[in-house]
Amino acid sequence: MKIIVAIKQVPERDAQIRIDASGKWIQEADLQWALNESDAYALEEGLQLKEKHGGEVVVVSAGPERVGSTIREALAKGADRAIHIESEDLGQRDALGVARLLAEAIRPENPDLLLTGLQSDDLGYGQSGVILAELLGLPHASLILHVEKTDTGLTVKRELEGGWFQSIDLPTPAVLTIQSGGNKLRYATLMGIKRAKTKEVRRVPAAELGVEMTQVAALERISLPKKQKSTQILPGSPREAAAALVEKLKFEVRVL
Amino acid sequence: MIFLSATLAEPQHFSLWERLLFAALVVASAGLFWQRFGPILDRIIKSKKDADFRLFPLGRRIGDFVWEVLCQSKVIRQRPLPGLAHAFVFWGFCAFAMVTLNHCAVGFNAGFLNPNGAIGRFYFYFAAVFALACAVGILGLFVRRFVVRPRWLGEKLSLGSGVVALLIFALMATYLAAFFVPEAGPAARLLWWTHTLTLLVFVPIVPHTKHLHLVLSPATVFLSRGSFSHIPPLAGDEDFGMIAGADLTQLVTLQAYSCVECGRCTEHCPAANTGKLLNPKQIVLGLRGYLNEYGPASQEPLLGKYNAQEAAFQCTTCGACEFQCPVGIEHLPILIGLRRGAVNSGAWDDDHGAKLFLALERGSNAFGMGAADRDKFIEKQQLPLFDGTQEYCLWLGCMGGYDPKGREIVADFARVMNYLGTSYGVLRKEKCTGDPVRRLGNDLLFQQLAEANLEALAQNKVKKIVSICPHCVRTIQEDWKEYGTPPEIEHHSEFLARHLSRLPRPPTQEHQTQEKIVFHDPCYLGRYRNVYEEPRAVASRAGVVIEAPRHRERSFCCGAGGGLSFLGEEKGERVSHVRASELAATGATTVGTACPFCNTMFRDALAAQGDAAPQLLDIAQLTARSLPPGSPAKMNVS
Repeated sequence: MKIIVAIKQVPERDAQIRIDASGKWIQEADLQWALNESDAYALEEGLQLKEKHGGEVVVVSAGPERVGSTIREALAKGADRAIHIESEDLGQRDALGVARLLAEAIRPENPDLLLTGLQSDDLGYGQSGVILAELLGLPHASLILHVEKTDTGLTVKRELEGGWFQSIDLPTPAVLTIQSGGNKLRYATLMGIKRAKTKEVRRVPAAELGVEMTQVAALERISLPKKQKSTQILPGSPREAAAALVEKLKFEVRVL
Repeated sequence: MIFLSATLAEPQHFSLWERLLFAALVVASAGLFWQRFGPILDRIIKSKKDADFRLFPLGRRIGDFVWEVLCQSKVIRQRPLPGLAHAFVFWGFCAFAMVTLNHCAVGFNAGFLNPNGAIGRFYFYFAAVFALACAVGILGLFVRRFVVRPRWLGEKLSLGSGVVALLIFALMATYLAAFFVPEAGPAARLLWWTHTLTLLVFVPIVPHTKHLHLVLSPATVFLSRGSFSHIPPLAGDEDFGMIAGADLTQLVTLQAYSCVECGRCTEHCPAANTGKLLNPKQIVLGLRGYLNEYGPASQEPLLGKYNAQEAAFQCTTCGACEFQCPVGIEHLPILIGLRRGAVNSGAWDDDHGAKLFLALERGSNAFGMGAADRDKFIEKQQLPLFDGTQEYCLWLGCMGGYDPKGREIVADFARVMNYLGTSYGVLRKEKCTGDPVRRLGNDLLFQQLAEANLEALAQNKVKKIVSICPHCVRTIQEDWKEYGTPPEIEHHSEFLARHLSRLPRPPTQEHQTQEKIVFHDPCYLGRYRNVYEEPRAVASRAGVVIEAPRHRERSFCCGAGGGLSFLGEEKGERVSHVRASELAATGATTVGTACPFCNTMFRDALAAQGDAAPQLLDIAQLTARSLPPGSPAKMNVS
């Protein structure tokens, strides 16, 4: 089974984000970067499928030179080789534009399965996977927690709302967007990092992929979330107040 | 007195056939010895070289040799009675060396010590005193092993040890008896031959029993790495720790064959004493078993037939085993070496462990919490940020930055520093020192954390660090050295002890005499750093310091070290509960600690003791309690 995992490098979770002068992007200097979380789960799913059924896992990622560290991390965790689409101007491309680059790099590989994270931790569009499926003309399913290979294709476990799951059969080749939390992630090892040095990373300049710079969606402005504290006193008897609290926890905060 | 007028009786002349027989027996005995010892020596020599081994400077090595081998300091100090008995046997052997040489020479009619000459007479008397002590010592050890039978010696009676004890006793008895028989009679000849045969039977028993330590352990002590829990750097791109026999270094192999099976390591091991699989003695003997079967170049995994992965990951790295070992075995590099092999290759599959590693791959602290949490704490406590002008960088660590109890300790220590007028600041960003991953054997992550921290400290121009956490202190000062030069660092107990005379006193004398404080020595402060007096001096200003049965070098671990506080529920009894019961049983009103990990372990364990449980306070909290009301919360610039 040839599996391609499309991954993205995003600012580290603890990074202190500052908005740059244009107001349309963040200051990238001094930021630390990490593998997008749901992409890490997509990679894990790919690696586990390979370990069970054999084949190859190829990671593909687009971005400037710094993306190399995330690619190496994926190779260290067990991917066999990588394609790095070198591009300095990803910020100016919309989800469709980035997906086109990825699609052109993936197409000649003819994978049996294309995995990617459900959405990115920075922009959170949740678009790349489904657009890729459309561009490559492949069936797709989103919000996947688990993938099982069958004789005819795949059976996947899909997360619905309210604690419900859906089981779907689909043929291969297919595109799946993976939800976080379906697997246990593996940790990076010294041996993995050392072995990764000899693995192939093919660098493809974005310009060579023949994708035009067209924008259908433009980012107008970004802002940091505003912190606000508000205290609400729930009136009534303890019984009424407790009932009102449960109501709020269930439907407003959605933690129950 | 008969004894003083007696002379050692030696046979006067040996016939040719007697000499030939003696020579043949010596050759046979030595041959058998070599047949057994040769392959062991070969396995030691053929093991991988220790990349960071340096023979020089010799001073430390000679010092260790004299103190630990010749003076038997560790043997006696940690087990006084059997230790002394052993020392008598050892010193008896040393004194006997010359006697034995002369004894053999006599067999070839070439004796060089004249029993009737002044020197000979003196030396034989001198040796007789030692022989007597040795005979008493070996009898004592025999009684201990076969009558008293402490469980550390193992469940199975070692018959070999009994035989050896009898042989040694026979050697001494035949020597001493020779003072009481006529010089030229058949009795003297009979004694000589009995002594000789005993000796020649004893020699080939040495290599394949634990008596091999007679030959190896002096070398093991002399060649030891020296510093406590020294984890050797990985050598080259193909070294991932101890995975297979080919990864065993000469020192490790030498140590594996030196074990005398005394079980001191097991006696003091928190894992072995609370029903875990781990038994440090069995780890060492497991390596020996492995080497005997597969040899030092094998690719067979070390964690398999002879040692279990589960056992290797139950070690709290408290270091009691390494501290106790009288023959120079360094258990921590071995246990951590086995973990390195398992983690660096990805063979260790543990949910909690993976969670810890992923938290530190992606974030800054071992708890996987957001760095913003630490910022909030700093803001709330109004801790000054380090800007290069202050004297100290106050290192928070994961416990001080994120754990509620650790934060209380940091806050109180900061108040004391304010009171003293010490200038300090905390770093805006700090990563875990890498202590838990270092001890769990994740070299990749440890290197990343050490390098990132070293860079941040250099950028901030930090010269001196003070920390409330002995794990941070040890890791920064010793383990980071592999990747750079860390700033000077001290533990807050050392800082507080230095300012002892200026620390606040409790409001009344009564306060001070009513409170009984039992101080728990944290492993990483005591055995790892040799700091015992300072925290006691600080605590004794707040109350009367009393001691738990196991204290100072023999302190019993809280169960948190070696990354274990992150690995979830333990098997068997909880180490922390065993220690907390021991501390509570002293009748103390307060348990004093100097480590946030011990503190967090005892917080839960003491709660299980019920209402009568003593209160639990760090020495910083004990000190801060006596601060005058209204003492400045913010820095006092004097």
